[in-house]
Amino acid sequence: MKQTALYIHIPFCKHKCIYCDFYSIITTDNINPFLSALKKEIETYSKIYSKDRIITSIFLGGGTPSLMNVDYLNEILNQIHKNFTVADNVETTIETNPDSISLEKLKKFKNIGFNRISIGVQSFNEDELKFLTRIHSKDAAVKTVKNANRAGFENINIDLIFNLPKQTKEIWMSNLKQAVSLPITHLSAYSLILERGTILNKMVLDGKVTLQDSDYDADLYSSTIDFLTEQGFKQYEVSNFCKDGFECRHNNSYWHYKEYLSFGTAAHSFVNGKRWWNFSSLKKYISEIKNCGTAVRNFEVLTKEQKLNEYVMLSLRSKGLNKNEFTEKFGSAWLKEKEDYFSKLIKNDFFKNNSETIKLTKHGYAICDEIIKNLL
Amino acid sequence: MLKIRNFCIVAHIDHGKSTIADCLLEITGTVTQREAKSQVLDDLDLERERGITIKSHAIQMKYTAKDGENYILNLIDTPGHVDFSYEVSRSLAACEGVLLVVDASQGVEAQTISNLYLAIDAGLEVIPVINKIDLPSAEIDKVKGQIIDLIGCNEDDILLVSAKAKTGINILLEEIVNKIPVPKGDENAPLQALIFDSVFDSYRGAIAYIRIFNGTIKTNDKLKLFVINKEIEAEEVGVLGMQKIKTKSLTAGNVGYLISGIKDVHDTKVGDTVTHSKHGAAEPLPGYKEVKPMVFSGLYPTDSDDFEDLRDALDKFRLNDSALVYQPETSVALGFGFRCGFLGLLHMEIVQERLLREYNQSIITTLPSVEYYVFNKQGEKIVVDNPALMPQVAEIDYVEEPYIKAQIICPSEYIGNIMKLAMDKRGLYKNTNYIDPTRADLQYEFPLSEIIFDFYDKLKSTTRGYASFDYEYMGYQKADLIKLDILLNGEPVDALSMIIHRDKAYDWGRKVCSKLKELIPRQMFEISIQAAIGSKVISKSVVKALRKNVLAKCYGGDITRKRKLLEKQKAGKKRMKQVGNVEIPQEAFLAVLKLND
Repeated sequence: MKQTALYIHIPFCKHKCIYCDFYSIITTDNINPFLSALKKEIETYSKIYSKDRIITSIFLGGGTPSLMNVDYLNEILNQIHKNFTVADNVETTIETNPDSISLEKLKKFKNIGFNRISIGVQSFNEDELKFLTRIHSKDAAVKTVKNANRAGFENINIDLIFNLPKQTKEIWMSNLKQAVSLPITHLSAYSLILERGTILNKMVLDGKVTLQDSDYDADLYSSTIDFLTEQGFKQYEVSNFCKDGFECRHNNSYWHYKEYLSFGTAAHSFVNGKRWWNFSSLKKYISEIKNCGTAVRNFEVLTKEQKLNEYVMLSLRSKGLNKNEFTEKFGSAWLKEKEDYFSKLIKNDFFKNNSETIKLTKHGYAICDEIIKNLL
Repeated sequence: MLKIRNFCIVAHIDHGKSTIADCLLEITGTVTQREAKSQVLDDLDLERERGITIKSHAIQMKYTAKDGENYILNLIDTPGHVDFSYEVSRSLAACEGVLLVVDASQGVEAQTISNLYLAIDAGLEVIPVINKIDLPSAEIDKVKGQIIDLIGCNEDDILLVSAKAKTGINILLEEIVNKIPVPKGDENAPLQALIFDSVFDSYRGAIAYIRIFNGTIKTNDKLKLFVINKEIEAEEVGVLGMQKIKTKSLTAGNVGYLISGIKDVHDTKVGDTVTHSKHGAAEPLPGYKEVKPMVFSGLYPTDSDDFEDLRDALDKFRLNDSALVYQPETSVALGFGFRCGFLGLLHMEIVQERLLREYNQSIITTLPSVEYYVFNKQGEKIVVDNPALMPQVAEIDYVEEPYIKAQIICPSEYIGNIMKLAMDKRGLYKNTNYIDPTRADLQYEFPLSEIIFDFYDKLKSTTRGYASFDYEYMGYQKADLIKLDILLNGEPVDALSMIIHRDKAYDWGRKVCSKLKELIPRQMFEISIQAAIGSKVISKSVVKALRKNVLAKCYGGDITRKRKLLEKQKAGKKRMKQVGNVEIPQEAFLAVLKLND
């Protein structure tokens, strides 16, 4: 049985935040047609891929899946369970915004099968929340995390963003302190990415907002790693930290180069060395599914070299490159060719000295892209 | 022979040489208006763009004069730039007369004068012509005064023309017939024909443009070239109309072409003499010179894999340009490339530009250099055209560099600016003449190395484009020259080294260090940039190590995009040049060339 991760993209949001480039829409039109389409898509793919395949994780992302009512979400989960073989210990995650989500709704999430929750806090500082145009307050964020715990979630992630314009080190460290004081098991700490097409990008281009420089970013990142390590969190990916045993199984599927199926708007799937992605437009997605059962916008069949590149990139970003696993997949020539470069990086404290796995140090993580660029 | 007139046109850039030529061709019916692309004589796109004739051309016109006789007029075009002054002198040698064309609003300029002197030295009859008399800004009387001062003619001798409006052209044609001397020579004497130009044709090989001074060439004649001492056969001879017109023979006094199965232009040397292999002339015509490159620079393919392509392109280019010399060289920083010698700066630019445009070669050029004479302690002379070949400081006794004699003509209000520029460029002031009360003719001596860099651009900007400039080579003089190295993390980047005057080394070193700091991206390790004379560091800067470069998010939907970005960066990396563990972007090499802008 092939272990496979399963992702569902729910495109609806109450509001578009200035930094966000995910596909999302603010109207509630088409909520029901989307559900029908999604169910049909799940069914279509299950006919091709459900055989010899076991779903080890389900992740509802968006958008804001927690906006949907519980029955809606339940229908989606049921459709997955009906059409695929799902592991008994499946990890089932829902992304949540802290605004106006009640304890009751959180309990219901737990009841219909979600066992992991990811809360988009972003900041515990009111000024920063305002700047990011988040629609929740600091108190709502704190309360949501506590309620999630009260509702029975034992695996709670929150997202935070650092290196925001004007963010001082004090503000960021106080965000982190607030985070670890709450009952969380996982923390994603993202350095702000300026994405094309976002409102923030335009503000920067217009000179209304100035980004901080990359040395400052490096300082914050370094402090983050130090602080969270002290607090008993381990870093298992560039931006992800967790308590022992709480790595996100779903995201590890991406990073460990496992297969994944994804449904919904703009969703990307990766099976048998082929990657394909759906139309982003909700209307287009619905009409394509209606007409032919799928809504694939484009695909690529990866060459061996592309696979190698992706494998190196993803493994270095996360648990490190295991030499045995690599050799099984790609042979030993590449590793031999890079030996000198590896020793140089070890000597300069970018790689850890471990004979089986090539893993980045703290400094290495900070310039991971530069290292990968030079390596490939 | 009595009915042949051979002449050329001397003019400064943009004073209307090509327009007058076109106008003569049209009025004599050599081309119809429909055929007349603007400026027929400028073949290359580049020539048309720059308004500079790079290669000489010749064309024959038939003209029925007022006396009722039919005349043959051979117009021989001349290159308009000092880099090609030897070619100009050979074209002039093929003529009996010259039209001196001066723009009615611009007046006499530096190139007008230098080419005019060449014409006078060659003993040609000068017909002064003021062109563009219809311009509102024309100052005919003033320009007349300048011409009279220059050549000592009478006011009545000066023709007033507007080639654009086609006024005065008929009178000009009559003057050509009446004033330009009949060619001398004996068609029965042993053959002496001057090669004044040669072009490459991919089907026929080298085509020599010749002027017959004595004797006659017939098709199938066995011929001999004096300089290369080689026997050839006249496969085809003819005259040059709009196309080549085959004839049975060419006789003394006439101008035409000769095709003889010679592969490329290196054997048809400009200035060489053609004669018969049996009963030929005892002596060649005077005036032949081997052309020598004056400016040198390394040409490297942008992508090291393209070295063979660049070699092919240069080999092809060379068929057409006998002045270009090159030989393979290697640079630690740039890999395999060629050290090329050029006649001058313009020639260098033209070669680079044509390699890019016509041969699709993307190249990096190193700083241009002149040929230095380095004398070592043993008293030996070493010729150095590449900073990499400069001996160690301790071995050097003294260094000499080539000098030029420069003539700058400008409105008198810019004299101050020019003097300041000349001082920056180590110029030695010689003399000032006034062409008229508002225009000065300044004479200077400069080290050639100062001129090949950015002198011309600076001169133009400091005089708002009003100054004109010309020069001739003088010889070598001693100078306090040193080799300045640029080091990255202690490793010298050979392509950035230069030979420079000691007084200028500090300023240059500082500029290079700060420019490189700006252009070299931060990398995994700190990069120290140093400028050094021998082991003495005179300037430095640092590119700090990159501390953060990692994309925060990489989930299922990001992987393709991220991989493509990496693939793109990898391709970009291939265009970077690696010195030690430092990657140098190409722009860094280019920027150093333009450092003084």
